[in-house]
Amino acid sequence: MNFDLLRWPPYARHSLNWAITVGSVLLCLLILPTRFSGMELLHVGPNWLLIWVVAWSVKRSMFEGAIAGLTLGLIQDGMTFPEPTHALSLVIIGALTARLQKQRYIQEDFISIALIVFGMVVLSETITALQFSLQVIISPDTAAYRDLGTIWLYHQRIALASAILSSLWAPVLYYPLNRWWEQIAAIEQPQ
Amino acid sequence: MYAARRWWDRNGIRLGLIGLALGSAWLIRQTQGNLIYEVYRGIASPFVRQPVETTVPKDPKVQELEQRLIELQSQNRQLQELLGYVQKNPGNDTVAPVIGRSADHWWHQIILGRGQQDGIQVGSIVSGDGGIVGRVVQATPNTSRVLLISDPTSQIGVTVSRSRNMGYIRGQSANRVIMEFFDKVPDVRPGDVIATSSYSRLFPPGLPVGIVESVNLNKSPAPEAVIELSAPINRLEWVVVSSNPKADPSQSSSQSSQPDPAVEADLTDASLLGGNQ
Repeated sequence: MNFDLLRWPPYARHSLNWAITVGSVLLCLLILPTRFSGMELLHVGPNWLLIWVVAWSVKRSMFEGAIAGLTLGLIQDGMTFPEPTHALSLVIIGALTARLQKQRYIQEDFISIALIVFGMVVLSETITALQFSLQVIISPDTAAYRDLGTIWLYHQRIALASAILSSLWAPVLYYPLNRWWEQIAAIEQPQ
Repeated sequence: MYAARRWWDRNGIRLGLIGLALGSAWLIRQTQGNLIYEVYRGIASPFVRQPVETTVPKDPKVQELEQRLIELQSQNRQLQELLGYVQKNPGNDTVAPVIGRSADHWWHQIILGRGQQDGIQVGSIVSGDGGIVGRVVQATPNTSRVLLISDPTSQIGVTVSRSRNMGYIRGQSANRVIMEFFDKVPDVRPGDVIATSSYSRLFPPGLPVGIVESVNLNKSPAPEAVIELSAPINRLEWVVVSSNPKADPSQSSSQSSQPDPAVEADLTDASLLGGNQ
């Protein structure tokens, strides 16, 4: 595989790289509405877009992470409801994951990714819950949720269930993607 | 000039890609993810199970009740005609498979495998076995998205079938909703049937919603009851979509962009009624 890729012309390699990247995003988007058995806990599934953003940002710059978060956040807004936006939490997740600079401190990959995803899901659901709460405080009449108690009770359930599931499923997405990007980087490096 | 050109050579492609990614994401957002749902349906439709025909012979009691219901319905129609009560012709019902759930956890939605081409419009009423399930909030040519009544944001004006006490329900959890009454001392007890009221602007009156599970009359500011929904919201596989005589075509375009028109519309009803009583 490696040797084959080396002989490819650069533009073809780039296109393949982008096709795989975009394809993986599309795959995540298509898994989102499903609830397969084993991917569901208390009617909550893994947060696939967040796993993708973490996988993308973990070895990239903060700017790249934030752009990826913004892109996927806008798409998820379209697939559900745009208020409150999913883009905000995903932008913060992307930038923060890149900022962690995991590879400088921890070489090991699997468990640390699961841990990062766990923490990031909790953070992202908290940001969403904060946005819902802000709606209640600013304009109680048009807010989606009516009272703060409901929001934070719901937040606990979603954050915990989704964090457990996402961190368990994270390696499934992270491992192949990371391996592919590492290979591409290894080929591009010597030139 | 040279430096600018070198910068452009190095970063031009990257800038273009960022623009392309953000542009397409914005496009998907503005079109409510239509394309993604269409692709999703294409992949999911081969896996949809056919509805199982129940071959169990009917209980004689059920048969008797069904016959009596038909009799009462026809009587009711005749009386309405005598009174000159104008009702818009209800359109055709469409049976639609449930192919997916909400794409995030804060909204209770389902994705159906039928859309505009089968006559489904924004505002159509969706019901499952036993009662109403929700309302279509977005329709693409072949798919539609339904806001379930178990969603904390959907609020519907309802009435107790036996005593005609009014109130509204709001989603609580998967299979329970909370009903708040407008009366201080409503005549309600566990086991009562709850149906949509004629004051709801989003749902036609008289559709079954659920059964009262428990009542808390001391709740402030208004008495509350926990309603168990009659439709199995968590295990829906097939639903029936019927056109809604109350859906206003002029509203439907603006509804799709609003997060949740159910609350506003039904609550204005609620506050009006509450003020009168």
